[in-house]
Amino acid sequence: MDKTTNKYLISALLIGIMFHGTAIFFTLESTYDALIHLFFGNHYANSWFEPWSYSWYTGFTVMGYPPLVHQSIGLFSYIGGLKFGLFTVALIAILLFITGIYRFALVLTSNQKVAGYTAIFAVFSSAFIETLHVFGQLPSIIGLSVLLHALPEIYLWLKIGKYKYLLNSLSLIAVTVTSHHVTPIFGMIFFIFPLIGMVLMDVSRETAGSYKEVSILVFFKSFLSLFKRIVAFGFGSLLLIILCILPYWINTKNNPITQVPIPHGSRDNFFEVTSSGLVFFLIPWGILLFLFPYIWFRFYSKRYLFFGLSFTLLTILGTGGTTPIPKMMLGENAFNILTLDRFTLWGSIMALPIFGEFGYRFIEGDLKQKIQKKYGGVYHRILGGLLTGGIVFTTFFTMSLGYFRPSQPQKIKMLPILNFLTQDQHDKWRYLPLGFGDQMAWLSAQTNAMTVDGNYHSARRLPELTTRAVERLENSKFRGIEGIGSLQQFLTVPEKYNLKYVFSNDKFYDPILYFCGWQRLRQLENGIMVWEKLNVPPLSSILPKDKIPTFQKLMWGLIPIATVLIAFIINIQLIWVHALKSKQKTFPVYFKYGVSYHRFKNIVFKASYLWAILMLIFTGYGFYWIYVKNVKQLSPINATESYYDALDFKEFERAYSYIDPKSDKTKAQYMLEISVTDGLLSSYAKLNEIDINITAKTDSTAKVKVNTHWITPLEKIDKTFYHELVKYGKKWYIKPLGYDLDIPPDQLFSENITSFYNHGRRRISSEQTHHEDVLKQPVLEVLSAKIVGYHDQYSIIGELQNVDNVPADVVITGALYNNENQRLAKFNAKNQMKHKLLPKEITSFRINFEGIAWVNKEEQKPKTFNPDEFTSLEFNQTPVTFNLQCAGNVATVDLFKGVTINDLSVVENTMIEGVLFNSGLEEVTIPMLLISYYTKDQKLVWVDHRYLREGIRPQRKQYFKYPLLDILDVHSINDTMDNVFVNGLANEEISNKVVPDRNTEHQSSQFIPIEGKGFSYIKIEISTYIGAPN
Amino acid sequence: MKIRREHITILLSGVLIYVVNIAFKSVLKKQEEISVIVSAHKKIVEAGNPIVLDFKVNKEIATELLLHTSYGSTTIQPDIAGETRFTIPRFIANKKGTVSYTLFYEKGNLYQGELQIRSNTKTKVCLESYIGPPSIIAGGIDYAMQVVVPTDSYDNPLPDSTNVTIGHQFLDIEKKKELRSKDMIAWQNIFSYNSSGRILLFSKVKETISKEFSIDVFPSLPENFQIQSKRKHSYADGNQITQFITSIIKDKHGNIISDGSLVKFVIKNTKGLLLHTQANTVNGQAIAKMLHPDHEDAWQVKAYIHGMAESNSIRIEYSKVLEDFDTQFKKGNRYVTVGPLVSFMGQLIPDGAMVILKIFKENKKIDTKVETSSNGIARFFLQEGFYASGKYDVTIKALGVEKQYNNIELE
Repeated sequence: MDKTTNKYLISALLIGIMFHGTAIFFTLESTYDALIHLFFGNHYANSWFEPWSYSWYTGFTVMGYPPLVHQSIGLFSYIGGLKFGLFTVALIAILLFITGIYRFALVLTSNQKVAGYTAIFAVFSSAFIETLHVFGQLPSIIGLSVLLHALPEIYLWLKIGKYKYLLNSLSLIAVTVTSHHVTPIFGMIFFIFPLIGMVLMDVSRETAGSYKEVSILVFFKSFLSLFKRIVAFGFGSLLLIILCILPYWINTKNNPITQVPIPHGSRDNFFEVTSSGLVFFLIPWGILLFLFPYIWFRFYSKRYLFFGLSFTLLTILGTGGTTPIPKMMLGENAFNILTLDRFTLWGSIMALPIFGEFGYRFIEGDLKQKIQKKYGGVYHRILGGLLTGGIVFTTFFTMSLGYFRPSQPQKIKMLPILNFLTQDQHDKWRYLPLGFGDQMAWLSAQTNAMTVDGNYHSARRLPELTTRAVERLENSKFRGIEGIGSLQQFLTVPEKYNLKYVFSNDKFYDPILYFCGWQRLRQLENGIMVWEKLNVPPLSSILPKDKIPTFQKLMWGLIPIATVLIAFIINIQLIWVHALKSKQKTFPVYFKYGVSYHRFKNIVFKASYLWAILMLIFTGYGFYWIYVKNVKQLSPINATESYYDALDFKEFERAYSYIDPKSDKTKAQYMLEISVTDGLLSSYAKLNEIDINITAKTDSTAKVKVNTHWITPLEKIDKTFYHELVKYGKKWYIKPLGYDLDIPPDQLFSENITSFYNHGRRRISSEQTHHEDVLKQPVLEVLSAKIVGYHDQYSIIGELQNVDNVPADVVITGALYNNENQRLAKFNAKNQMKHKLLPKEITSFRINFEGIAWVNKEEQKPKTFNPDEFTSLEFNQTPVTFNLQCAGNVATVDLFKGVTINDLSVVENTMIEGVLFNSGLEEVTIPMLLISYYTKDQKLVWVDHRYLREGIRPQRKQYFKYPLLDILDVHSINDTMDNVFVNGLANEEISNKVVPDRNTEHQSSQFIPIEGKGFSYIKIEISTYIGAPN
Repeated sequence: MKIRREHITILLSGVLIYVVNIAFKSVLKKQEEISVIVSAHKKIVEAGNPIVLDFKVNKEIATELLLHTSYGSTTIQPDIAGETRFTIPRFIANKKGTVSYTLFYEKGNLYQGELQIRSNTKTKVCLESYIGPPSIIAGGIDYAMQVVVPTDSYDNPLPDSTNVTIGHQFLDIEKKKELRSKDMIAWQNIFSYNSSGRILLFSKVKETISKEFSIDVFPSLPENFQIQSKRKHSYADGNQITQFITSIIKDKHGNIISDGSLVKFVIKNTKGLLLHTQANTVNGQAIAKMLHPDHEDAWQVKAYIHGMAESNSIRIEYSKVLEDFDTQFKKGNRYVTVGPLVSFMGQLIPDGAMVILKIFKENKKIDTKVETSSNGIARFFLQEGFYASGKYDVTIKALGVEKQYNNIELE
């Protein structure tokens, strides 16, 4: 064996650093995790010793994640900024990984060439590429790489027993611990235990003569002989795991993770959810899949036996929910907390040396000779080409994953948001980004303002979040009921969290913001819409935080970097010293146990062959399946599905391509019809489920029934469509549907409207708003209010009028009390009211008391998605009295009142049908009906709402139906209005002063008499959401 | 050893020395008692003037001065270490109020005293004025309060009975009044006048005048008003728009009510159902719009400003535009064509007239389909997916004309 520089390693390092090093600039920032680490890095850069961060949630401790990588980013950021820190650490990770795998391969195979090949293959390992360029898990990579570096040292300690090696290995373990907590714990099981097994095998071989003669007895004897060393190392590393991140363990004990499991793709059944199978199984294994027989064969040879067991475990655990085994092995709890992709990562990393060995044998070893002898040189070259092609393909595929299937929204320019937050003291309130993806962490890293959301869900403390399986509020639409439900709670009671600003990068959330009483402020120059809520108090200047003992702070701040320094000095430095001394140095002892590569086993050869062909067939079938899925018009179902898919993604031109080309609908006409439809269904719905049945079919025509299930921010919509299809040639086409033919009477019309402008402050000054610029809060009057009960649920309903001369934004907070005057519940009116009232306008309202969903773990979570679903608060006691606090603030926007009820008919006292007409100048996107029910003696009993699915353009009609409710079970509990307050003043005083001679007959003049179940009259009011105000 | 005389002498002399020593010490201590005299200074000082407290102490000792004011307490060091001359800091000397002081040395307090700081009437007068609420209602019942706090230039309120002039202007009224401050402030309630508008206010003390303040006077509650309707024709074509216009709505003092006040128009049709439309006022007038009904109808219209005012009730009638229409059933009776629908002069009804088809099976309503007309024609398609083959009853309603077709066989 020569002792010159390993040219393979050098090339691997060069290629690795150039390939990955340049690519990270285009990939890392759009990975899932990198920006989170950046955020943490920023935290350490600003307050190294203070573990409390106010930026996320309502404050959390960063002691929930080992700090080394974050602190390193923080340190480097002092030189060239945060991103410089991030990329530097990533480069270090790449270097560490390649050298680490080289050293691991050296221990395992005792062959420098094989190790060299391994290093080169490691550069292109799809698991590594995915972890770095798609997931961005820097701590995990660094932890693993350092662990790999530690393995040779552990081997040497166990084999030789020199304390130098123990010191070396423990110093490296310490670095691993401080960079990632899971890696050393599982690394113990999956890497170090097999390594110990291997050492024992080697020792046994020495006693027995050859591996074949190693018996259990011999093995046991070797175990006894090395027992002290194993225990010394074991205790040493255990101590390090506990000590180095002691504050982490203390924090975990004090703040146990109460978060309910958040679904993760790695726990899916990969056959059911093929995308998860691709990302968490196929890609990380990549080309290794073709070599499984060889890998298994080698790992189950006696020396590697324990690695074989470990590898088997890793492979099985990595299959997630595909088989029930991982769940059985890990137990329900661990299965739901751990992300199982890490097992596949470790498995594929563990297999790399064997892959390297295969490469060596294939390129220049016995396998090459065997193939050449059997099939000839050309065939060998073709095989080689195929293998290389496979590696190239998986590399390209993995690298481009983030490009073709972006997991993140487009890169957002943060500067306008940052400017907005710093202007005019906007950072005195919390904000909430919506639709930002992981870029929210980058925003948080750059601003002092705080958000209620966050991106590290283990650190959450608010029960509103920990009880939901929601990754972030920001992308709550992907998590159905739990997501939108959580979001709605934050939006309905923003005062509780001092949440005043929402940055919306996704128009999907706009309706829910509007109906929860938020208003648009303005669109920033990066296209982000700022929403604002009035009547939210600013944050207190002193916020609560958990006090952490100084010794913990010091440990947390000093130990991690110290471990790196120590490891650096005693490892790297020694290597340098040795290298410079140029004294001939003996090879490490593990070099003795290399196997010579000759006589490639026939059976393995054949098995590999068969396996590879099988894999090829699978791959081929996979591609065919993708083709069939993607061919749009192969069958009527295919065509209809594609049509709805195109509509769902708003690719109308593509949708048009599925329309019958022989119909008289031109593309221009089609696009025009699409462009004028607006409303909840066409603008804010996401297709959740589609189910297509062919009701009749001939060779060239077909009729289909399409049951569609749409998710909108406000409610779930089920709608059935019927389509006719025709077949021309081999393609199926959809016949177009009719459209609205209504012609408005006026071509051009005008309307005088009152619009308002509020200066806010009239003098440009950074002082607080001047006294004389503070507008008086509009005076409101509560006309009626009461508690009503429905089964075991309670609501406060009532009517309220803006009796002032200016438009008002109204916030109504209700609280229920028991007969001992203890508060049972408090909540705001959500969508069952008009939040913006013109002078003298009236609204009915209903306050539902929402609880936090699924606090009770046994409660069955609904399987299906329903954004409108409501978790009612559980009452142990009956509410007896209530308190109502109404606040008015001057409103200047969203005051459109142009929708009229133009026609109405009552069908059998159970249904109302009618026509709405938009007489105004704005296009109404989502009309909402607010229906109040009254008893025979004209007392309010219930308030209900209904969203209409289609919008109404100016001077157009919209037909609606509303099924009347059965409210026989609703009973009134208390209607005394003693504790009703408006802007902090008693309602009765206002009532006596502002409208002393109220004409109460006006109330009933608007009632529509209907003899229904539990009511005698109803009143209809209309609230309108305008998506794009003129 | 025998006790000798010398021994006793030595012992006694030792005791003597000790006793003398103690005696001396106690005598010396008594002599050390410190006497303090404050050098002459005024008990009452004007704010802003430097205040120096010079204590005369008969012995050189280290002292500190504890100051207690309404702003809080602080200790200060002598101007020159070792001396007993103290300059009261500006931030205390500038503020009106009582300053009590205590001279300390290491073993206790030496002297206690008090001084009064008065506002400095010699400086330029400053004003602090507050007016609120910034908007009130016309009619003389609602009011805003004007509060003036005259201060010296150190922000100390001037003594009671300082003369304050306040004044305001409203339309052509200009009033001035002299007030005397009491308990630091001078104030007055400004009641609204009968007209709406803006009251501008100011105040003045000595040479100092305040900036201009304003109170908006909003009109009072609206009074009953009149409405009228305006339309292009009186036919129920379901297409044209009728406007309902209020008279200029005023409060009882004749002020036009605030822009943006919502007027609700409640329309009772012949079926006794209530439709409604609404509009907000611009210069007191609200114009609400309704689409003409698409069937013969008579509307009883009344407008309300809820709980406060109402209008007269007007009745408008819409006459029907057509007497009858044709219906054709084609293609296995599944394609239903309604029309042509003709309007009052014999022209085609404008596109978009609503045609409602109700389909019954064995006297039970299965569905209601709504289509709009195009070129006077409305087309329905009874899809097989919805309606299995068999006999159905169909009623079609367009522009108030309802026709029934029984036993239509769908293929």
